[in-house]
Amino acid sequence: MEVTSMRFVRQAHASLTNPGLQHALGRLQAKFVSARADAIAELDDFEATRRAATAVRARVIAGLDEWLERFEAAVRANGGEVHWAVDAQAAQRELVAIARRHGVRKVAKSKSMATEECAINEALAAAGIDVIETDLGEYILQLANERPSHIVAPVVHKNKEEVADLFADRHQRARQTDIAALCREAREMLRPQFLSADMGLSGANFLVAETGSALIVTNEGNGRLVTTLPRVHVVLVGIEKVVPTLEDAALLLRLLPRSATGQSITNYVSVLTGPRRSGDPDGPEHFHVILVDNGRSRLLGDELEPMLRCIRCGACMNHCPVYQAIGGHPYGWVYPGPMGSVLTPSLVGLADTLDLPNASTLCGACSVVCPVSIPLPDLLRTLRTRQWQQRLRSRRERLALTLWAFVAHHPRLYRFATAVLARVLRVFGGRRGLIRWLPLGRGWLQGRDLPAPQSRTFLELYRKQQSP
Amino acid sequence: MRVGLFVTCLVNLMRPRIGEAALRLLAAAGVEVQVPEEQSCCGQPNYNGGDLNAARMLARKLLRDFDDCDYIVVPSGSCASTIRTHYPQLFTDTADHNSIASLATRTRELTEFLVDVAGFDTPPGRFDGSVTYHDSCSGLRELGIQHQPRTLLTRLPGARLVEMAQAEQCCGFGGAFAVKYGELSTHIADAKCRDIAATGADAISAGDLGCLLNIEGRLRRRGDHKTQVLHIAELLAGAEATWK
Amino acid sequence: MSDRDVIFERLRAGLLRRRPGADLAPTDWSAPRSSGELTARFRQQATRLASAVVGPFAAVAAPAAIAEYLNHERLPRTAVCWPALADRDWAMAGLRVEARAATATDLVGITGAFCAIAETGTLMLLSGPETPATVSLLPETHIAVVPVAHIVATMEDGWTRLRAHSTMPRAVNFVSGPSRTADIEQTVTLGAHGPYRVLIVLTTD
Repeated sequence: MEVTSMRFVRQAHASLTNPGLQHALGRLQAKFVSARADAIAELDDFEATRRAATAVRARVIAGLDEWLERFEAAVRANGGEVHWAVDAQAAQRELVAIARRHGVRKVAKSKSMATEECAINEALAAAGIDVIETDLGEYILQLANERPSHIVAPVVHKNKEEVADLFADRHQRARQTDIAALCREAREMLRPQFLSADMGLSGANFLVAETGSALIVTNEGNGRLVTTLPRVHVVLVGIEKVVPTLEDAALLLRLLPRSATGQSITNYVSVLTGPRRSGDPDGPEHFHVILVDNGRSRLLGDELEPMLRCIRCGACMNHCPVYQAIGGHPYGWVYPGPMGSVLTPSLVGLADTLDLPNASTLCGACSVVCPVSIPLPDLLRTLRTRQWQQRLRSRRERLALTLWAFVAHHPRLYRFATAVLARVLRVFGGRRGLIRWLPLGRGWLQGRDLPAPQSRTFLELYRKQQSP
Repeated sequence: MRVGLFVTCLVNLMRPRIGEAALRLLAAAGVEVQVPEEQSCCGQPNYNGGDLNAARMLARKLLRDFDDCDYIVVPSGSCASTIRTHYPQLFTDTADHNSIASLATRTRELTEFLVDVAGFDTPPGRFDGSVTYHDSCSGLRELGIQHQPRTLLTRLPGARLVEMAQAEQCCGFGGAFAVKYGELSTHIADAKCRDIAATGADAISAGDLGCLLNIEGRLRRRGDHKTQVLHIAELLAGAEATWK
Repeated sequence: MSDRDVIFERLRAGLLRRRPGADLAPTDWSAPRSSGELTARFRQQATRLASAVVGPFAAVAAPAAIAEYLNHERLPRTAVCWPALADRDWAMAGLRVEARAATATDLVGITGAFCAIAETGTLMLLSGPETPATVSLLPETHIAVVPVAHIVATMEDGWTRLRAHSTMPRAVNFVSGPSRTADIEQTVTLGAHGPYRVLIVLTTD
């Protein structure tokens, strides 16, 4: 997907001034936050479960090369094939090659962030292969030619009227107004696609090393359909998604749906191990896994390594005051919210993503809910530190911070400068003691007043008190 | 017990009466307090901005300024947490690590100190009306401060505590964030102001002046000149500022 | 160098950079012990997820219970079933049941279940020659006949049973109620691409 993170502020402004989106985001916040809280409360001991889940993910990362080798061996033992892609372009090449090999003309796809990351749809289209998104939200986005705005709820930014208009236009059918009717219409339009697709393309929530399995969670059933009906199944997935055992997957599944949508379990959890066996009446004849690096390996041994634990639940963004205010689009790439603000700069580079680590109050609400204990505020700060060290931030900001540190480090200068500043600000506050305008103050003062100070600093007043 | 008051750069500049109130409260708690005059800033703006060298420089200065104190008391959750949670991270594997770690363990936010260390529960002030309390993020999530201000508030004569919805939700200040991403910050502050208004409380209080300036600034711009905005120290110590 | 070589080289370089002891200590954790009786818990959880649950009856009574359900829901009395269930007396209950994989036009699919998980009200289905995956997927109505002896506490218990029983089948499908989506306005709608309704018939044997 094309990166537009460098237009964060403008894109955020568009979100903040869009009443329909604001209404939808408010609705989402209410539902996901309380649903998660209820689902977590049902666990015997959330903290213990979280510690165990964190340990599983940490253990994998500590031996990622070995776990990937084991996974590859197990897939091969079952008659599947494993392909490796260093980056998005390589992933596209591998997939197109597989499609050509099997004479694929149509691909039915279930939702996968990794395929967004690697611009898979565009690559398949360029190769003359039809791609149909089957996840309802992704299908709607495909029809509308828009980007997802949330990991788990990709069309949270659209209301049903907009969907109704879209379907009426594209399906050439009478406009439905009822949500259930819209869903049934999508089902009817997509069913023939599942049945006629040559290839099913999915991501994977987890890869199980011991069995060589791909584990996929869905609620709609499209994940099952694309991995059962077409004669070729391809899993495209990041290298960090592997877990050692089936039991590890079960443990993580205790937290993933609860953290994401507040469900105790998703409707369908499919654990797929290779192509159909002799005697199997259904299932794909060919099973391929494309393992994508695209910058992930660079995080190993780095301060940002904990980011590799991420299981893509979306809890962090659901609880983030910034994401709650603007939704996913402004972040400008596949992954929004707190995890996106760490992952995007990590995979795409610092220079094009300067705002992402900075557009955060570091409130920590994300780290409170992360099921695998990723210290997101610390990682955001690490990225800010790297920006500073690489001199990527504005001259004005560098000057301001450097000047401040200098003044604060020299007590007499500090007392003098703050005494002057207090008096100056007092004047700007006028009679009411509220500042409405200041040079360089637009960021604060555009939407807020600034209460004026008392005109003497604490240290001045204290000194006076001590020596009357 | 030698207690040093670290007033914070924001209180020093923008609202000295909070420092005055903190001294009054500590005196009421029977604690002798010194105020090192060379103090300035804990370095949080530089730290959060990614300028770690400057942050370390200011940390070492703070260490020197409060060298001989058994406790450093801070009327700010975020500054207290910068010292307690983050200073040690800045000095891992350095010569200063041990002394910085010791400084960290001796640092307390004001209400935390009053309740957990001094066992104090008789605030000298008075407030006739309802008060709602905003949990500033660093204090809450990094230091676990939540019950201490409420314990003191419920013991404040005349005051009635009324909780707002989502008291734990960020107010949108975030330090430099409030200036760099002003529109976004204002939007988040606005949601906090709506939650405050919904309580109908006479006053809103918190432990961090940054949050309070942000909230008050937005309240006033929204046309609310009635709701009082008071730091927890001011509320508990009562009376107006006496220093002139 | 192949992509695989490049990736592994990077991984190994990264792993060398790691601080020793940066890993978290192994934790002492075991799957939750279920409180209360398994069948009751399974029924409670499955019902919450909008499955209909009836029984437990004797297994011979299952076809009649299914016929009654289909009548009640005004559904046709025709179905496909797992070949593994071909020996049940469907005709006696007035049902026309073919034992085969499902196609796009079949409206009712009847399966068993390898086991059922009480913690979340979930059916664990294994694909195989006698248990085609399409029977629980393509039709609009999915009916599962589940002996109570198949109910286990957790998914971990399900894996334990599977390990004891056989090797991994091509597909293990965990099914928890009718398919659903909440993509439009966060409003949960039952019946997306999978079945619209699920009936679980518990049997004593």
